[in-house]
Amino acid sequence: MSDFLAEWVVPVDWMKVRDFARAVHDDHAAAEPPVPPPTFPIVLSSDFVERLVTALLPLDRSRTVHGEQEYVYHRPLRVGERLRCRARILSDTTKAGRRGGQMRIFVVEVELAEAEGGVVVGYERMTSIETAGLAEGG
Amino acid sequence: MSPPPAPAFSYGPLTLTDLVRYAGAAGDFNRLHHDDAYARAAGLPGVMAHGMLSAGLLGSFVTRWFGAGCVRRFKVRFREKVFLGDRLSAEGRVVGAVEGGYALELALKRDDGVAVVTGTAEVAYP
Repeated sequence: MSDFLAEWVVPVDWMKVRDFARAVHDDHAAAEPPVPPPTFPIVLSSDFVERLVTALLPLDRSRTVHGEQEYVYHRPLRVGERLRCRARILSDTTKAGRRGGQMRIFVVEVELAEAEGGVVVGYERMTSIETAGLAEGG
Repeated sequence: MSPPPAPAFSYGPLTLTDLVRYAGAAGDFNRLHHDDAYARAAGLPGVMAHGMLSAGLLGSFVTRWFGAGCVRRFKVRFREKVFLGDRLSAEGRVVGAVEGGYALELALKRDDGVAVVTGTAEVAYP
């Protein structure tokens, strides 16, 4: 598996989980420990996504929109655990835009695994679209 | 065992503070989400909420419904931009049973009834 663009290890930090849960108004933000909300892995991948968009691809942010986002969990994430994240591009395609020009669609997957042992606990997948013109999606 | 009824879930009107709080919590400092001049230069009417804030709200609807840590699969599609002042409410329905849980269809709607995010999920429910 040499197709990973990046690999990093991160802790599922109590305070990061709590702050994120508050930001998305999750009822369980005040639990001790808090339970990571379904979309929490975006926190774990934010540095990578920033580097992907600004340096690795790179994309014109003013005309890039977020198309879809998906999470798959084999079990819930746990506060205090360390995860090994590995990112790869699942697809990168170009097609004609609705108003002319080229539209680029790419799907990135981040695999979330236990840092010790490498058991995969889930996946995050994001679809982004660099439109031909100004940002027009969500 | 039958699934619990969908709870009420609504939020808003969205403020810049909501967006800044999300930006800080998520580590997403794309200027479209906090810099009004930059957003307007990009052709928007003003700063736009993070799509992932809407996705997160929809996720919080699911955990209110089925409990923390219930999600096995969660997939959303971003359909409409969300701006300051928008009020959002979540809707969902059970569309089937899966091993040890349920399959759901989800939508986050503006006050005018337009779905800004739609999605599907599978949740564990004993």
